[in-house]
Amino acid sequence: MTKSILRRTDITLLAATAGILVMSIIIIGSATHINTPGEERYWFVARQGLFAAVNIAMAAFLMNFDYKMLQGYGNKLYIFNLIMLIAVMLVGQSALGAQRWISIGPISIQPSEFSKIIMIVSLATMLEERVGKLNNIHDLLPVAAYVGVPFLLVLKQPDLGTSLVFMAIFFGMVFICGINLRLLGGIFATGIAMMPLLWHFLKDYQKMRIMVFMDPNVDPLGSGYHIIQSKIAIGSGMLFGKGLFEGTQSQLDFLPENHTDFIFAVVGEELGFIGVVVLLLLYLVVLWRGVQIAQDASDMFGRLLAVGITSMLAFHVLVNVGMTLGIMPVTGIPLPLMSYGVSSLTTNITAIAILLNIQLRKKKLEF
Amino acid sequence: MVENDEFGGRLKVLGWLSVLVIAVLIGRAGYLQIYEGDYYARLAEGNRIRIIPTMAPRGTFFDRNGELLVQNRPGFAVSLMPVMTKIDPVVITRLSELLKVPVEEIDKKIEAHTGFDPIRIKADVTPDIVTIIEEQKNNYPGVIIEVQPIRDYMNKEEAAHTYGYVSEINDMELEKKKDEGYKSGDIIGKFGLEKIYDKELRGENGGQQVEVDVTGKPVQIIGNKPPTPGDDLYLTIDKNLQTAAEKAVDEQLKQINANAAAVVAMNPQTGEILAMVSRPAFDPNLFAHGISSKDWNKLNNNPYHPMDNKAITGEYPPGSTFKIITGTAALTEGVVSPSELIMDSGHHWIIPKGNAEGEALGLINFQQAMAHSDNVYFYEMGNRLGIDRLEKYARMFGLGKITGIDLPYESDGLVANRRYKEKNFEDGDWYLSETFDAAIGQGFNLVTPLQAAMVMGEIAADGKRYKPHLVNRIVAPDGSTVKEFKPELLGTLDVRPEVISLVQAGLHDVTKYGTAAGIFRGFPIEIAGKTGTAENPHGRDHGWFVAYGPFANPDIVVAVIVEQGGFGSQSAVPIGRKVLEAWFGLNKPEPAAEAKKQ
Repeated sequence: MTKSILRRTDITLLAATAGILVMSIIIIGSATHINTPGEERYWFVARQGLFAAVNIAMAAFLMNFDYKMLQGYGNKLYIFNLIMLIAVMLVGQSALGAQRWISIGPISIQPSEFSKIIMIVSLATMLEERVGKLNNIHDLLPVAAYVGVPFLLVLKQPDLGTSLVFMAIFFGMVFICGINLRLLGGIFATGIAMMPLLWHFLKDYQKMRIMVFMDPNVDPLGSGYHIIQSKIAIGSGMLFGKGLFEGTQSQLDFLPENHTDFIFAVVGEELGFIGVVVLLLLYLVVLWRGVQIAQDASDMFGRLLAVGITSMLAFHVLVNVGMTLGIMPVTGIPLPLMSYGVSSLTTNITAIAILLNIQLRKKKLEF
Repeated sequence: MVENDEFGGRLKVLGWLSVLVIAVLIGRAGYLQIYEGDYYARLAEGNRIRIIPTMAPRGTFFDRNGELLVQNRPGFAVSLMPVMTKIDPVVITRLSELLKVPVEEIDKKIEAHTGFDPIRIKADVTPDIVTIIEEQKNNYPGVIIEVQPIRDYMNKEEAAHTYGYVSEINDMELEKKKDEGYKSGDIIGKFGLEKIYDKELRGENGGQQVEVDVTGKPVQIIGNKPPTPGDDLYLTIDKNLQTAAEKAVDEQLKQINANAAAVVAMNPQTGEILAMVSRPAFDPNLFAHGISSKDWNKLNNNPYHPMDNKAITGEYPPGSTFKIITGTAALTEGVVSPSELIMDSGHHWIIPKGNAEGEALGLINFQQAMAHSDNVYFYEMGNRLGIDRLEKYARMFGLGKITGIDLPYESDGLVANRRYKEKNFEDGDWYLSETFDAAIGQGFNLVTPLQAAMVMGEIAADGKRYKPHLVNRIVAPDGSTVKEFKPELLGTLDVRPEVISLVQAGLHDVTKYGTAAGIFRGFPIEIAGKTGTAENPHGRDHGWFVAYGPFANPDIVVAVIVEQGGFGSQSAVPIGRKVLEAWFGLNKPEPAAEAKKQ
């Protein structure tokens, strides 16, 4: 990496990302009791830190290559994605009732995480030629089918959360691709009309999650437990929080999954409303820069990539934080750059790296 | 820049959508943390803070000389911390195996439990179980050891009916005593002094405020309020006399092959109960941590009712001990003079009722009649007095109503009278033969052994009747006296002092040449006594003996009944003698005699 690359990099996005990563390491440390003596107390923090460092180094190295090269791999990546998702179904390990994991040596990877970023690259490749040409259902059908296959594979795992992320990516990108707004409206209307039908395709535990979302007290010790304890954690943090390592909900394990899906509740409990606002504003900076980078991108492929990434991140933040706050149903969607998890971390650092790459190669202003 | 940027404007929508998402999330967080923050803070506290009550040690009992009678020993109870989630079934199974309590029973206790107090699974476990749980904390998350004082009746069955017993409060008691601060799971006095003085004895429980994790495992102690021990009772009981009386009863019952008896010993000048025995008895320790159904059935199926305190609850015809009342009435009312001789030809001349053994004593005066317990003489007294005057004097002596002793379940007995007959019998008319029966303490009359002692005590105390009581002082844990019980005069016999002297003289003669003379031969202290035999329609007669001494200045009155013991002189008098021996220190070989032997 040359000095000129660093000088021209989007420092704002870089700083916001770094800020979130620092918070992530600190909060994971708190949630995994790094302050109490124990043989493996550094395990989570060390692992997350190590993978962050490796990912950042790799991203820095890749800054030397133009993101436009990805365009040539769009279809190959798409095929790879399908193979990976089918592999999960065949050899995957289940966790919490869903087959999501593949073990490669000491690392368990979650292919559905990587498939998000692959989906964005493949879809950007496909849509680039279709800008302004999505005027009716016939135009949209090939695109929908293209996304639909991996979407259904993920849904089958079952991983409702990731499949919903696919939809968010899909709609974000076709919107910017210039889809006919009446067509878009029609699709939404049909979707809403079909909701009751969709209900039948949900697994029992997914139905329960929706019911519990409406009223957590339906099952306070079962499915509703997460939401209730998460709201207690965040609410009891009040303005200034209970202090790092002092969150009783998190430290005494009342809050489950406190270093992964519910890490935001630890922020709310230990750092209070102030911590919450700081973190959410950092996310806003990332999203805002994502839109800006899409605006400034030198070509349509770059813009579509940036939009896909921004849509993905925005949807993740909305659904994950909304879940911890009790305004979104429980889905296994991690909080980007915050939740513990190697696959998710790698995907999101890669996503940020792509944004930086697009920004780096934007059309230069002429003086 | 992108060429042909037809849809670039749509990016703004995406940008503002992002702002909207973040704004909504911040707004929601603010609502939960600022607006509802206090509410959630309370819920978080409720999650993590538990109160483990520290049971107050119950007040102990001492005898009149300060000897310890009832104490507490440290016990350990195994409890579960109530938690927000379901308790891990693995832990319950493990606990079930360790404590030998069925899983279903543990589940039932958890199910029935409300609130945040620990769920008591088993009380009074052995130290090795405590060690296992303490050492393998991680195998037993949420399982805690509560230190719990356990009532220790050191002398087992001795004076069990007086001390009573304690047990866990039941639903009915809880309903009644909720306002007095009793809580579910509390130990409460159920019988005897434990019941009557429960409020003073129980003290005030303390508690530890403990922070627990999600499994209920205590993480740290936040606050501690030490318990206040209950007040101690200094009883009127004399431990040595009590032990001697128990021993005397047991030996006598064994010897004459009887099963039930009661003894009351009292200071007639103060009303202090010195000893109280009821047989058969029970071991109050059985109740301290929940009696087993086997033990309970054994007690319940015993035909002689070990759970009854016969000294105050048992009602028996007073038999010849009632002649004290008949005699007092006759002299006071002037229906006979002390020197008037009445002919005992073996039976009365109006109604052919006679002495138990059919013997005829010939011409006898008041004192002789009392000493020999002559039935014919007292039939005639009844004949002259009439039932109404007999009733009046019986009531003057305090019969027919409870004495007011500080024990539960006291019976009031019965004084034979016309109204009772009218109310309870088809043929409500009163017959002379019933007056005859009443005059010698048979028929309708019923007294408790305590009442019998009271009657004798009034004669001993020259007509004064003191309220019987078992507690001298209530003493707070800091040593200060909370309450002192002084002798309480309940009444005085409205008779001339010389009448009482005459009755006393008659009773004195009982041990000189009368019905108790044989057994009291050579007794170094002057004793007044009266034997009695209560007719029992269900079996052998009950034997009575009442006595006091020393004759000139009495400090003890004793009443003894042996159920189905036959003649009082053979069943009850030996017990009475041993009790008096013990009181006057005659049961131990004298130091001088001891020295001589060596």
